[in-house]
Amino acid sequence: MTTAHEAPYAPEHSPRLDWAKHAPEVYKAMVRLDAAARRGLDPTLLELVKIRASQLNHCAFCLDMHTKDALAAGESVERIIQLGAWEESRHFYTEKELAAIELTEAVTVITDSFVPDEVYERAAEQFEEAELAQLIAAITVINAWNRFGVSTRMVPGHYKAGQHK
Amino acid sequence: MTVRTRLLDREVGRALSSVSAAAKRGLGDPALAELVVIRASQLNHCAFCLDMHLAAARELGVSEGQLDMVAAWEEAEGVFDERERAALALTEAVTVLTEGFVPDQVYARAAAHFDEGQLAHLIGLITAINNWNRVMVSRRIEPGGYPS
Repeated sequence: MTTAHEAPYAPEHSPRLDWAKHAPEVYKAMVRLDAAARRGLDPTLLELVKIRASQLNHCAFCLDMHTKDALAAGESVERIIQLGAWEESRHFYTEKELAAIELTEAVTVITDSFVPDEVYERAAEQFEEAELAQLIAAITVINAWNRFGVSTRMVPGHYKAGQHK
Repeated sequence: MTVRTRLLDREVGRALSSVSAAAKRGLGDPALAELVVIRASQLNHCAFCLDMHLAAARELGVSEGQLDMVAAWEEAEGVFDERERAALALTEAVTVLTEGFVPDQVYARAAAHFDEGQLAHLIGLITAINNWNRVMVSRRIEPGGYPS
């Protein structure tokens, strides 16, 4: 009998397109946007936001990158694992982190609905106005990286922590 | 209704504009770009963005027939050509990522009508309007502010 452990993994796929090579000006502007949007935000909170958005958008490359960066920065395995069920594991996070994660979900899934008032209000209670504007920008930017990653099928597994910092 | 922030960091705003401008320039088809941007803004329910880009599309001479039918392009045979239809299918797939990846057939259909450079910029444009949609919807920026 073959156990799951002995069976080989599925073969690795290739990316569809090297978009940064074909659209270098777009890539450069995205890097500038990323740097501008993260200013004033707590890096620990920002990684949680990036991981949660990447889960919702199913971006494998982005999950590889941001979980490795978070772990390298001292984030706990437990908090990363529980992020997919944060509503049932609230005691792993601060109220401020929870408000940011909830806003991340609302801003990421805007095709289903707007951004509800109660979600916006909880974020506005935890973040002062300029910081909230940056949080909205940062959620937008990880959504953008997710779109590039998924549509061009970037390959996860090869990222080294800190490589894109 | 809750009053929401109108703040957008100046450098964030500039970089958002640069992403959009670079993508649009690289695609090199302003009328198609407006159709793509309008369709994404419909899916993301961005009133400000629809107001702005419907005006821009009319200025460019995009037909009222296309603007009326872009929300139902799949059922509007003859209103859009195959290249436009491939771009609109890709726009929908890249915009609605939460419901499942970008299907191979949608990607292949786009790759049949756009070379790699155009395709990279088309993906960039779809992403860029998704950026504006999120920034505007989150802050509930009302439509009508765009000068015609």
